[in-house]
Amino acid sequence: MNTLLSLAGLRYLRRHPAQGLLATLGIALGVGVVVAVDLAVGSADQAFQISAAMMTGRETHQIVGGPNGLDETLFTRLRIGAGVRASAPLVEGFGRLPRFGGMTVRLIGIDPLSDTTVRNIGVGSAKTDTLRRLLTVPNSVLISARTADHLHLKTDDTLQVLVKGRVQTLTIATVMTPAQNIAARGLDEVLVMDIATAQELLDMQGRLSRIDVHLPDGAMGEAVQRRIRDLLPPGADLLPASAMSANLAQMIRAFQLNLHAMSLLGLVVGMFLIYNAMSFSVVQRRPLWAALRALGVTRGEIFGVVLEEAALLGAAGIVLGIALGYGLGLGLVHIVLRTINDLYFTVAMSEPPLPPLVWVKGALLGGLASVVAAALPAWKAATLPVTQVLRRSAVETQTRRRLPCLSFAGIVLLCTGVAWLIAVGGNLTQAFVAIFVAVAGYALLIPLATRGFMLLLHPAMSAIGLMGRMATRGVIASLSRTGVAVAALTVVISVSLGMAIMIDSFRHTFSAWLNQTLQADFYVSAAGPSGTPLAPAIIKAIKSLPEVAAVSTGKRWYLDGPQSITEVFVLDPAPASLKGFRFKYGNQTTLWQSFLHHDALLISESYATRHALAAGNTLMLRTERGAHRFPVVGVYYDYGSDQGVVTMSRATYEHWWNDADVTSLGLYLKPGSSNDTDAVAEKLRLDVSGGEMLSIRPNRAVRDAALTIFERTFAVTRVLQLLALLVAAVGIVGALTALQLERGRELGVLRSLGLTQAQLWGLVTGESLLMGFAAGLFALPLGLGLAYVLINVIQAHAFGWTMAMSVVPTQPVRTILLALVAAGAAGLYPAWRMARQPPLAVLREE
Amino acid sequence: MRRPTGVMMVLILAAITYWQWPRAETLSPDSAAAVIAILGGGDTAGYARALVPRPFAFPADYGPHNDFRQEWWYYTGNLQTSEGRHFGYELTFFRFALAPHEIARNSAWATRQIYLAHFALTDVQANRYLNEERIDRAALGLAGAQGAPYKIWLEDWIAKGDTAQGLPMHLHAATSRMAIDLYLTNLKPMVLQGDKGLSQKGDAPGDASYYYSLTRLATKGTVRIDDKTYVVSGLSWMDREWSTSALEQGQVGWDWFALQLSDQHELMFYRLRRKDGSIDPHSSGVIVAADGATKPLPPDAVNIFVTKHWQSPHSGVRYPAGWKLTVPSLGISLDIAPYIQDQEFNHRFRYWEGAVRITGQNNGHSVRGNGYVELVGYELPRRE
Repeated sequence: MNTLLSLAGLRYLRRHPAQGLLATLGIALGVGVVVAVDLAVGSADQAFQISAAMMTGRETHQIVGGPNGLDETLFTRLRIGAGVRASAPLVEGFGRLPRFGGMTVRLIGIDPLSDTTVRNIGVGSAKTDTLRRLLTVPNSVLISARTADHLHLKTDDTLQVLVKGRVQTLTIATVMTPAQNIAARGLDEVLVMDIATAQELLDMQGRLSRIDVHLPDGAMGEAVQRRIRDLLPPGADLLPASAMSANLAQMIRAFQLNLHAMSLLGLVVGMFLIYNAMSFSVVQRRPLWAALRALGVTRGEIFGVVLEEAALLGAAGIVLGIALGYGLGLGLVHIVLRTINDLYFTVAMSEPPLPPLVWVKGALLGGLASVVAAALPAWKAATLPVTQVLRRSAVETQTRRRLPCLSFAGIVLLCTGVAWLIAVGGNLTQAFVAIFVAVAGYALLIPLATRGFMLLLHPAMSAIGLMGRMATRGVIASLSRTGVAVAALTVVISVSLGMAIMIDSFRHTFSAWLNQTLQADFYVSAAGPSGTPLAPAIIKAIKSLPEVAAVSTGKRWYLDGPQSITEVFVLDPAPASLKGFRFKYGNQTTLWQSFLHHDALLISESYATRHALAAGNTLMLRTERGAHRFPVVGVYYDYGSDQGVVTMSRATYEHWWNDADVTSLGLYLKPGSSNDTDAVAEKLRLDVSGGEMLSIRPNRAVRDAALTIFERTFAVTRVLQLLALLVAAVGIVGALTALQLERGRELGVLRSLGLTQAQLWGLVTGESLLMGFAAGLFALPLGLGLAYVLINVIQAHAFGWTMAMSVVPTQPVRTILLALVAAGAAGLYPAWRMARQPPLAVLREE
Repeated sequence: MRRPTGVMMVLILAAITYWQWPRAETLSPDSAAAVIAILGGGDTAGYARALVPRPFAFPADYGPHNDFRQEWWYYTGNLQTSEGRHFGYELTFFRFALAPHEIARNSAWATRQIYLAHFALTDVQANRYLNEERIDRAALGLAGAQGAPYKIWLEDWIAKGDTAQGLPMHLHAATSRMAIDLYLTNLKPMVLQGDKGLSQKGDAPGDASYYYSLTRLATKGTVRIDDKTYVVSGLSWMDREWSTSALEQGQVGWDWFALQLSDQHELMFYRLRRKDGSIDPHSSGVIVAADGATKPLPPDAVNIFVTKHWQSPHSGVRYPAGWKLTVPSLGISLDIAPYIQDQEFNHRFRYWEGAVRITGQNNGHSVRGNGYVELVGYELPRRE
C-alpha cells in the first residue's frame, strides 16, 4: 500500500476523531453483543455438560431405573453374575445449604473402591486417611478446593445441609484438588461422599441412582450388554452414556437457539452502523479522492486506502468489543444459568470459562462486518467519475436512481423469507434464517418507504411553515444516510415490538393457565430440593385436619429413556383437580373418567408436539413390571415445562411401579375455612409438621413464584433487546452527525440567510423526530408479523406451546413513542453541534 | 512366620508407592495411593493384639479375625500337566480393617472391612506371567470371609472348604485371560509358626502376629489361559496370618522362600532386609520333615547368596533372580532359580512373587523341588 495515501487516510481520521470513534463504537457494540451471548450460551453449555457428565469418566453406558432408582443388589449381581468389573454405583441427590442462602448442592455418593474402574472423580488424589474417614465415619464428605474457597470451609469443618426435610451436619473429611481442570469444575458445588453416607442422608437405603459401566467395543461389548440386560429388573434399562447427555442437551437447545438469534440481531444492526460510519467517512472525503484521482492515483489504490482504514477501525472496534463483550457476558452468564436452573436442571453457577473460540468468532464477525460494510462505499468512491466525485449531490442522485432496484430486491427478499417461513415447518434454525431474510427484505424497502412517507407528510409539514417543509425535504434529500438510519431503527423497534407482544401473549396465556391449574388453596411439600417425599404420617395428619375438605397428592419424577427424559407427574386428584386441566380437544368429563379408571395417560401439549402424539395413540413407558404401552386419552395445555409432562393417576402408577412416595400435596379447604388461610397455614406449620421442615405455600405464593420465574426467563431477552436498541440509537447519532458534517455548508448558508440557532436546532431535531416517527410506523406491521411468527412458528415448534396472541392496544402507541424517544435523543447532540457552529467558519472552510 | 507383619508390608509399600510411582512410567497413579494411605495409617489403638499364644480352632480359624487390623490368606503352588507343562499360581486374599469397632449404620454399604485379592498365573512354556488385582468392600456380598463353613471371596474369586472341617479346599478365580479351578488336599500336619502360632516381630509385646501354614497340599484341577484349558496336578502351600502390630523402623523389605522338596521336606525362610543392608535379627524360618516334625531356623543358621539379578522392564526395578541357600548345620544346600524371570506383580502393590525350581543337597542326598519366592521392598536405583 502506498504510504502517502495511507498517511492521508490516517490524518483524516485524526482530524475527525468523532467519526472514527463512532465507527469503532459501532463495531465494538456489534462484536460485544455477539461475544457476550456466545459467552453466556457457551458457559451454559459447559456448565450443563459438566453437570451432566459430572466426572470425566470412561463410562460408555449407564444402568438407570425407575422413580426410585435401582435395587443395590443389582450391583453385586452385575459384578459377580455378569462379571462386569468396570462398573461403579452412584447415589445422587440434592441438598441445600441453609447458611449459604439456601444454595443447592449436589450430593454424590460413590464407592471409592470401584469408582476408579469407571470414573476418576479425583478421590485418588486424596491423601492420608481420607478414605478411611469416608468409609467409616458417617457424614464425612469431600469437597473440591474451589468449593471450599467459595464456602470458606477447610478440612474438619462442619457443614449444615438440608436434605430430605432434615438439617444434617456433615464433616469435611478433606478438601481435594482434582488433577484435571474439568474435573475440578465438575465438582463445583458438589459434596462427594461414600455411598453409605449418601444412602443414609438421602434416605436411599437399598437403592442406587444408577450404575455407570464401561463396556468394550464390538461383539464382545454386545455380548456383555446381553448379559447385563438379562440381569436387569423390568424397571431398569441399559442406556448409552452419550444418549443420556444428549437428552439433557436437547432440553436447552431451543433456549440456546433463541439466544443466538438475538445476538445475530445485534450483529446485523451493528453492521448497519459500521456501514453508515464508513460510507460517511468516504463520502466526506470526496474532494480528496477527486484530487487524488486527478493526480493519477488509481481506483484500486483508493479502494485499498478505504479498506485499510476500515480494517484499522475494525481492529480497534474488535478489541473494544471483546472487552465490552466480556463485561456483558459476565452479567449474561449469570442470568442464563439461573434460567436453566429455574427451568431445566441444576447446574453449578460458576465463573464463565473464556474459550478462545468465542473471541476468535467475535473478531472474525467484526472484521468481516467492517470490511463488507466499508467495501460498498469504498467501491463507490473508487468508481465515481472524477468530475462527479466532487459533488455530494451525486451520491444522492445515485441513491435515488438505485432506489427502485433496492426496493425490488427488498420485495424479493421479503417474499422469499415469508414463503420460506411458511414452508419451513419445525426446523428452528431455518425458521430463524427465514425471519432474517424477510426482515432484511423489509429493511431494504425502508428508504423508498421513507421517501414516500416524507412526501406524504410534506403538505402537512408545509403547513407548519418553512422549517417543517425543510425538515421533510431534508430527510428526502439525504436519503442515502437517513434511509439507512431509519431502516436500522425500524428493524430494532420492530423486533422489540415482536418480542414484547410475544412475551405479553405468553405471560397472558401463562398466567391464565396458572389460574386454572392452581386449584388448591395450599400446596405442601418437604422443604429442600424438589423431589423430597413427604412422610406418610404428615400426609395423614393433614388429611384429617377439620379445615381440609380434600387433598390431592402429586409426585414428579423423571424417566430416563434412550431418546429422551420423560417427566412423569403422578396425580391422586381431589374432586376439584379436574378443573385444573384444560384439554386441547375432547370431552372433559369422559377424558377424566378414562384417566382415572383405565390405566390411561394424559400428556401435555408440548409432550404431544415433541413426540408427535395425539389422543388415541399409545405411549410406551418402562415400568417396574416391564415395558408397557399406555393409551393416551387426552392432551392438555401446560406451560410449566417445555419438555412436556406425562400425567398418570396414582392408581395406574402404583400398579406399574412399586412406589408410594408423595412429593407434594394440594389442600382444598372447606368453604368456611378458605377465608382464613393464614390461620390454616400457621396450624399446618406448628401442629402437623412434627419437626420436619415443610414448605407450605398458599395458592397466591405459588402463582407469584411461577410468574417470577417467568419474568426471569425473559430477562436475557430484555437485556439483548436493550443492547440492540442501543446499537440502533448509536446508528442514528452517527447518521445525523454525518449529515451535519456533510451539510455544513448548506447550513452555514442557511444561517447566513438569517436562520437562528434555535431554528436550526429545531430543524435538525425535527428531522430526527420525523425519522423516528417513520421508523416507529414502519416497525408496526413488521413487529406484528414478527410477533405472529414468534408465537406461531418459533415458540410453537421450539417449546410446543399454543399461545393466544394478545396485543395490548397501547402497544403500537408505545412503539412509536419509543422510536420517537430513541431518534429524538439520538438527534439532540448533532442538532446542538450544528446549531452551535459559527456559519462563517463553515463557509470559510470551503 | 510367613510375612513379617502386615503393618510392615503396608508401610513399606506405602513408602514405595509414594516415592516410586512418580518415577515409574508404566503406571499411572490412581486411588491406589489413597487405598494404601488408609492401610498405612499408623493408629493401632482399639484393635486386638497378638500378645500370647492362643489355641487355634478349626474351621473357625480359617475364617476372618475382624478385630485385628489385617489378615491374609495366601495360596501359591506349582502345577504340571501330564505332558509336563509347568504352571505356577498365586491366589491371595487380604483383609484390612479401617476402624477398630463396628458402628451401627443404616446403609448396607457401610462396613469397616475391605478386601483385596491378587491372582497371578505363570505359564513357563509360553514364558508369560498374567496377573490381576481386585479390591472391594465387605458389603452386599461383594467380598467377605467366614470360618464355618470356610469361605473367602472377592466377587467370583473364591477359596472355600469342601467339607464342614474346611478341608479339602477349593480355589476358583477367573479373569478374561486366565482361570484356575483347583482342589487342595492336605498331606501334612498344620505348622504353627513361631511360638505355637504366635510369631513375634519386634521387641515390644504385641508386635506379633498369629500365623500358621499348610505346607504341602496335593493339588488337582484345571488352569485356563485364554481359550485353552489344561488339566493339572501338583503341590500348593497355604499361609494364614493376622495381626495389628507396628513394626520396627529401619526395615525396608524382605525375601521369602517357601520350598517344597522331593524328599517330602519343606523349608520356609524369610529374611528381613534393613536399610543399612544388614539382615534383621527377627528374620526366621522353619524346616518341616517328612513326618511333619518342625525345626526352627534362626537367622544365623541360614546363608543366602544372590547369584543373579534381573531388571524389570515394567518398573525398572532390579530384583535378585537366583540364589544359593544353605543351612550348614543340617547339610542343606539348594540352588534356587525362577522358572521365568518376569513374575513381577505390578498393581497397587508392586513386588516380585514367582515360581522357582530347586536343585541341591539335603543331608547328603540330592533333592529337587519347586517353590515360591517373594521379594518385597525393592526400589528403583536412587537418582544421583
